[in-house]
Amino acid sequence: MGNSEILVDATAGVQKRKIFSAEEIYQLELEKVFGRCWLFLTHESEIPKSGDFVTTFMGEDRVLVVRQADRSVKAFLNSCRHRGNQVCRAESGNLRSFICSYHGWTYGIDGSLINVPLEKECYGSPVDKTNLGLAPVAKVENFNGFVFGCLDPEAPSLREYLGEMAWYMETFTSGGRAELLGPPLKSVLHTNWKLPAENFACDGYHVGWTHAAALKVAPAGPLGQLAGNTGINTTEAPGIQIATRHGHGFGCIWNAASSIHRGTALNDYLLSKQPEVAKRLGEWRGKLFMAHWDATIFPNCSFLYATNTFKVWQPKGPGEIEVWTWSMVDKEMSSELKRNVQKEAIRTFGTAGTFESDDAVNFHGCMRTNRGPQTRKGQLTNSMAVGFDKTHPELPGVISELSFIGETAGRNFYRFWDEVMDAANWDEIRAANSHWTEDWLAPETRDTNGNGRNQSDHFEHRQTQVAGK
Amino acid sequence: MASASVSPDLHQQVLQFYYREARLFSGKQYRQWLEAMVDREIHYWLPIADLRYRADRRPPPEFVPSIYDDNYDDLEERIRRLETGLVWMEDPPSRIRHLTTNVEVYGTDVASEFDSFSNFLVCRNTEDTDETLTIGAREDRLRLRDGNLTLLRRKVILGQRVIKDTNLYFLM
Ligand code: FES
Ligand SMILES: [Fe+2]
Repeated sequence: MGNSEILVDATAGVQKRKIFSAEEIYQLELEKVFGRCWLFLTHESEIPKSGDFVTTFMGEDRVLVVRQADRSVKAFLNSCRHRGNQVCRAESGNLRSFICSYHGWTYGIDGSLINVPLEKECYGSPVDKTNLGLAPVAKVENFNGFVFGCLDPEAPSLREYLGEMAWYMETFTSGGRAELLGPPLKSVLHTNWKLPAENFACDGYHVGWTHAAALKVAPAGPLGQLAGNTGINTTEAPGIQIATRHGHGFGCIWNAASSIHRGTALNDYLLSKQPEVAKRLGEWRGKLFMAHWDATIFPNCSFLYATNTFKVWQPKGPGEIEVWTWSMVDKEMSSELKRNVQKEAIRTFGTAGTFESDDAVNFHGCMRTNRGPQTRKGQLTNSMAVGFDKTHPELPGVISELSFIGETAGRNFYRFWDEVMDAANWDEIRAANSHWTEDWLAPETRDTNGNGRNQSDHFEHRQTQVAGK
Repeated sequence: MASASVSPDLHQQVLQFYYREARLFSGKQYRQWLEAMVDREIHYWLPIADLRYRADRRPPPEFVPSIYDDNYDDLEERIRRLETGLVWMEDPPSRIRHLTTNVEVYGTDVASEFDSFSNFLVCRNTEDTDETLTIGAREDRLRLRDGNLTLLRRKVILGQRVIKDTNLYFLM
């Protein structure tokens, strides 16, 4: 964090507890993480026509996202340049202009100020409107229909930011085949935004225990065997963990697509499309197409591929978020199948979801303890299978082949969080691109059994290093 | 909207029906509720809508996101999940209290079916200090068979756009 305090040691897989509770760290996150990283805004399918808009958040900033006359998408801070009133107060719609409800200043869909009421009568001289348009979001780009925005003009392109994660996401988004069904469900959760983001990135560990009840009543499949966390079929590694540059990552379970949904309709559909995907994108992505993924795009966008839920964790202070949930479908699905997939996705991971409600209690529980000044000292761990993180001859990023249950993607999440919080600017982050896995995969970080260093020593070790600098 | 008024006896029967339902919900006796008070053809629905300007002429989305979109088997599965004893959120149990008010009952084209409107308030206490209030309205279709009422359709309407409770895994 720019000073000597070490908050994350991703090599050992530990992070300080205060990163989930300290107000000053949260405020810094709004600047350094949410002010500089690419954030999910909307999907093209939500704003198909010129003048279509949605309102959302980038960190805690309210933004307005509008489809332009030339089909491009622009985004603006949703705040009037006169007294700062929220210009657009609806969540979605189609308009030719946005009229502020305070004094009636009017903005075009391109954000420009086009009318100031009583300008002639009361301003005396003409108002120079050229510099009074809505403040634009520096960058808006889309990846296969998923629209992201970035507030930092120095940031890399969205494609570069997604990096190797884009290679993986091509599996189900290429050609713009995936779309989201909105409007999103929204609910409050008393937790820190990083907890669910980390959970979706890597936490296959909790599935069998946290969700034991839902798995018990769900049809038995590759996931059903996890109920109770008593053991997993280890004759064949059931999946892998994948971590990519910029904090993104996921866990996947082979041949488990649609195993949380009831019925076979989704599975049948995916099977029918699989040969074409494998032919076009290769064997690995053909295999990934039939896997179940729990994934996070750093910082606060998560999805479950093949459970078809897509989420943004909107931060609302160190201990609160809003959960926004869309259903993710394939454009080519029949209306009947889309409806079915949406129903199953919301039934499991919606506001009254059979899985979602299990998670909420734990995410909340991880926060409520932080009221204790002694409790919130110390560190938490993400060290499962440290030492098994490797590069792979065919798959990009860092891979753990030990199991889909792991913390590889979690370590990567905090590794990049720490890097962004520390970095002065994107140039510094870029400079690390060529060697971002160096210390992570270096042999000296492992003992002869392939395990990580003793964790409790590790902070001391790092702190001595820093002190000695 | 239905308008034919019903007899005081039937109105009283509907009130009793709702008070019993509220008591079963408050005791989390969901299976008793399902078996005694719910029609096999139930559609239990809680759709959501986003905030739009009044002048917005766009039709509602083709696929309306619904927090509940349950048939009888869906409800049964939700109840079975609670009965596994593995729902940590309910252990220790939450405390929940249901109030039902503003009940109106009207006849319909079908002699044995009635439309009813009611409001509800649910207070849920979880852990030691957490408390949420969920207030809403219900549009029900009730069916009378052999002198017994059952719930055939329910649409739940909430004012909260952003749901304040951590989840809505309770029946309303
Ligand atoms: S604040 Fe918007 S017109 Fe005055
Ligand atoms: Fe979960």
